Amino acid sequence: MKKLGLILIFSLLLCTVYGQNKDCAADCSCSFDGVITDAQTGEPLAYASVQVEGTEKGTLTDENGHFVLEKLCAQEFDILVSYVGYKSVVHHHDLFHKHMNVQLAEDDMILESVVVEGDKQQSGLTTAAESKLSKKELDLVKNESLGDVLTNITGVSTMKAGANIVKPVIHGLYGNRILIINNGIRHEAQTWGSDHAPEIDVSQSENVTVVKGASAVKYGPDAMGGVVILDPPKMELLTGHLHGEAGVEAGSNGRSLSGNLLLQEGYKKWAWMAQISGRQQGDMKAPDYYLTNTGARNLSYMAGTRYHHKKLDLELSYSHVEQELGVLRGSVVGNLADLALAMESDEPAYTNDDFSYDINNPRQEVQHDVVTAKGEYNFSNSMLKFEYGFQANRRKEFDVRRSNNNELPSIDLELFTHTLDVEWLHPEINGWDGSIGGQWLYQDNNNVPGTNTVQFVPNYNNSRFGLYITESKPLDHFTLEVGVRYDYQQANVRGRGNDNSIYRQDLTYNSVTGLIGISKELGQYGHFRTSIGSAWRPSNVAELYSFGKHENEVEYGFWRWEIKSAGAVGTRDDVADQDSKPIDNETSIKWLATYNYKTSRHDLEITPYVNYIGNYIYTRPGGIISTVRGPFPYFVYDQTNALFYGLDASYIHHHNKTFSSQVRGAYLYVRDVSSDAYFVGIPLNKVGYKLNFEKSILGFDNVNASIEGNYIFKQYNAPKVISPTEIIEGEEAGTPVIENSNDRFDFAAAPDGYFLLDAQVNVTMGKLILGLRGKNLFNTSYRDYTNSMRYYADDPGINVLFSAKYKF
Amino acid sequence: MKFLRITIPVLLLFTVLFTSCSDDDVPEAENEEEVINKITLTFTPAQGGDVVTATYLDPDGEGTEPATQEDIVLQANTEYELTMSLKNTVGDENEEITDEINEESDAHMFFFGFTEGLFTDPQGTGNIGAGNRNNDVNYEDVDVNALPVGLITSWTTGDAASGDFRIVLKHQPNLKSQSTTTEDGLSDVDLTWNIEVE
Repeated sequence: MKKLGLILIFSLLLCTVYGQNKDCAADCSCSFDGVITDAQTGEPLAYASVQVEGTEKGTLTDENGHFVLEKLCAQEFDILVSYVGYKSVVHHHDLFHKHMNVQLAEDDMILESVVVEGDKQQSGLTTAAESKLSKKELDLVKNESLGDVLTNITGVSTMKAGANIVKPVIHGLYGNRILIINNGIRHEAQTWGSDHAPEIDVSQSENVTVVKGASAVKYGPDAMGGVVILDPPKMELLTGHLHGEAGVEAGSNGRSLSGNLLLQEGYKKWAWMAQISGRQQGDMKAPDYYLTNTGARNLSYMAGTRYHHKKLDLELSYSHVEQELGVLRGSVVGNLADLALAMESDEPAYTNDDFSYDINNPRQEVQHDVVTAKGEYNFSNSMLKFEYGFQANRRKEFDVRRSNNNELPSIDLELFTHTLDVEWLHPEINGWDGSIGGQWLYQDNNNVPGTNTVQFVPNYNNSRFGLYITESKPLDHFTLEVGVRYDYQQANVRGRGNDNSIYRQDLTYNSVTGLIGISKELGQYGHFRTSIGSAWRPSNVAELYSFGKHENEVEYGFWRWEIKSAGAVGTRDDVADQDSKPIDNETSIKWLATYNYKTSRHDLEITPYVNYIGNYIYTRPGGIISTVRGPFPYFVYDQTNALFYGLDASYIHHHNKTFSSQVRGAYLYVRDVSSDAYFVGIPLNKVGYKLNFEKSILGFDNVNASIEGNYIFKQYNAPKVISPTEIIEGEEAGTPVIENSNDRFDFAAAPDGYFLLDAQVNVTMGKLILGLRGKNLFNTSYRDYTNSMRYYADDPGINVLFSAKYKF
Repeated sequence: MKFLRITIPVLLLFTVLFTSCSDDDVPEAENEEEVINKITLTFTPAQGGDVVTATYLDPDGEGTEPATQEDIVLQANTEYELTMSLKNTVGDENEEITDEINEESDAHMFFFGFTEGLFTDPQGTGNIGAGNRNNDVNYEDVDVNALPVGLITSWTTGDAASGDFRIVLKHQPNLKSQSTTTEDGLSDVDLTWNIEVE
C-alpha cells in the first residue's frame, strides 16, 4: 500500500509540474551568460568576442570576462568565441545549460580552447559535497588503478589485496556501500569480495568526481558512503579537425609499459570517439625482495558516437576492459601454523630472485563489457534524460590447487546487468528547481559450471525499481534542497550447500530514503553546504550465504549459522530465511558539511562528517573449528550499529604565480556502538604536504613540477591481537582462546606509521608533454594496514616512471 | 503534448522490462576436489595378524560440527606398514583424494612426528619442523624424482607406551626437493592422534 501511495504522489507531482512551460523562443526573450578566461592562468579575458553564428547577434566580455547575450529567438545555437592571440572555439550551446564557461588557450599552446557548461554539480544535487580531479591531475596518474587514482582526493583511501587489486574506500566504506558510475552507468560487478577491485580503466576517463555527501536519494542503495563518477572524454561537435592524444609510460618497478591512444572528431550534427589502451607489468619489487607473481595485464578499448539534432542529443558507446591480475604467491597458506610462519619470515615464501612477467596462480581474470545508449531531449525549459546500459561482467579466480584443478577457476561467475535510468529536469515552479527520476535494474548472476568446487555464491536474479524526486529552492539567505526516494527490490536466489543440496529463496526489500540540505554563499569567496540524508542497503549474497574457507578465513553467512546449546555458534544443516532468521536492511544517516573558501591566493576546504549505520553487517569471531588442516578460527556475519565520523581538510596557498603549497589531511574514527568495540581494517589517518611549481622556463612552454610528502599514521583504533600461534597453543592445551563473542581480534598488530615521498616534473614543448615521476622515493619499507598482503610482505618500493604524451 | 509522446513509450518499456524474464537455473552440482574430511590410517602387520585402522572424520567438512578421531592401538614390538586413504565424503560425495596426491606425488610429502620411545624403528621424534627433514622416517614410496612421498611407510613398535602421533601433509608445487621441510608449502593435513602401544 505504501508503495502505491508513493507512486501516486510522484504521478501527481508529474502532473502538476507538467504544462507550465513558457517558451522564450516565441517572443525572442531567450538569454544566457558566461565567463571567458585564459585556459593557462585562469585570469578573466576582457573584450573577448562572443558571436551567435548565422545571426547579427554578438557581444564583448567586460573586465571580469563576463558576457550576457539577450533577446535571442532560439533555444540553441552555435556560438563562436574568439580573441586575438588565442585559439577560437565554436560551441553548440543550448539554454538548458544556463552558464557558459569558456577557457581560451593561446595560439602557440598545446592546450585546446574548451567550453565547460554550467556550474552544476556533477551529481545534479545542489548541496552534495563533491571533490573533483581535473583532467590535468588525472593525466599524471592515468595508468594507475581506480583506487589509487582516487586517493588524490582527500577522504578517499584504499582497500587492497596487493598492488594490483585496489578498491576505493570513501569515508571508511567500500564495496557495495559505495557506488561507481562510469559513463553514466552504475558499475555492477561482484562487489561482495574484499579482493574484487572494480573492473575499470581510468585511462578511459577524462574527469573523476567523488560525491561525499548524502546522495542515495538520487542514486539508490549502494550510495551509502559516497559515489564515484567517471566521465569519458566529451564528444564535442564542430571540432574542426581530428583531435587526439597518444601516450606511453614506462615504470621501473614491475618494468611496466602502458600505452594509450584517443581519437575524436566532431562535425555539425555528430561526433565520434575511439580509445584504446594497454598495460603490461611484471613482478613488483619491495625494497628488499621481488613480490613474486604480482604482475598485471590490462587491455581496454572504447568507441562512441554522438548525434545532435536541435533539441535532441543521442549517444551510443561500447567499452571493453579486460585484466589479468597476479596475487602474491607467498600469500597462500594452508593452516594457522603456515600463517604464523609466513608472518614471522623476513620475506614471503616462493620469492624468486629474478624478475618475471609471468602470472601464475593465484590470479584473477576479469572482463567487463558495457553498451550504453543515452539521450537528452530539451523541451522549452525542461529536459528529459534517459540512459540504458547493458553490462556483462565475467570473473574467474584461480587458486593454488591440486593436480589438474590448477587450470580450473575456483570462482567462475558471469553477471549480466540491464539498467535504465530516466530523469526529467522539470521547469522551475515558484522557485523550485529539480528533477524526477526513475531507475530500473535487472540482473542475472550465474556460476559457470566446471570449477570442481562448491559455488561460493548462489545464482540469482535481481530486479530493482526506484523513483525519486529532488527539489531545491533559493530562499532569502540560502538555497534549500529536499529529496525523497522509494526503492523496491526483488531477488530470486538458487544455490547449493556444501553437500551440493539445493536451496532456493525469494527475497523482497523496499525502503524510503530522504535528503535535506542547504547551500549558502558566505561573502564573496566562501561557500557552505550541508546535508543530512538517509541511505539503505540490502545484504549481499556473500553476507547471507558464505560457507567455509575463503583465503585464510572461515566465514559463515548470516543464514548459515545459528546459536547452538550453551551459547556457542555453529553452522546449520539448512539455510535460514527471512522468516526463520530475519535480517534487517542496513540503514545509514549521514550528516556532512563542507566549507569552501576560494580566492586567487587561497583555496580552503573543510569537510566534517558523521555517519551512523544501523544494522551494519560485519564479521565477528565465532569460535574455532577443527579441520583436517588443524584448528581454524571461524567468523560469522552479524549485525550491529556502527558510528563513523571524520574530517577531510585541504588548503592550497598560491605564494605567487609560480609556487603554490598544498596541505591536506584526513581523519576517520569508527566504532561499533552496540558492543563498544573496534572493527578490523579501518582506513588510516593521513596528512600530506605538496609544493608545486609552474612556469615557462628554459625555453619550454610550460614546466610543472611538484614534490609531495605524506605521513600515514598507525591505526591505534584496532582490536586486540591474537596470533595464530596463540590459537594453536590454546587448542592444544584445551583452553580455546576464541569463543563466540563480540570481542574482535586480528592475527597481527597494525603496522607502524610511515612516510612516503613522491615527486614529478612535466615539461610541455608545443604538442608534446614529457613527464618523469617517482613514487616512494626513499624506497621506504612499509606495510599498509588496509592491504591484506600486510601479513606476508612489504608494499612496493621506489618506482620511477617516464611518460610521453602527444596531443593533436 | 510532446512530453507525453515521449514518456508513454518509455513508461510502457519500463512495464515490459520490469515484469519480464526470470530464469530459474540452479548452479550445477560440482565434484568437490578440495575438501578432505576423512582420513583412514591402516596399519598392516608385516608378519601377519590383525590389521589396525584409525579414522578421522569431520562429517560436515567446512561446517562447525566436531570431528571424531579414533585412537591408534598397536601391538608392542611389531613391524607395521602404514597406508593412508584421504577422502571427501561430505553430503553424498565419495571422492578419493589419495589418487590426486599419487598423481601429483612430486608436489606432496607426508611428514611424521611422534613421542620418543614409541618406535624402535624409526627412532627419535620424527621429521616435522625446520631442519628435521633428514630425521629418521621409513618411507616406502618415492615420486618421479626419487624423493619420498609417505603414502606408504613402515613402523616398528617398541615396548608398551602411549603418546602422540602427528601427520602433516605438505603441498609443495614446484618446490619439493631434498631439503624441503614442513616450513615449505601449504599444509593440506595436520592432525595429531592418540597412540597406544600395548
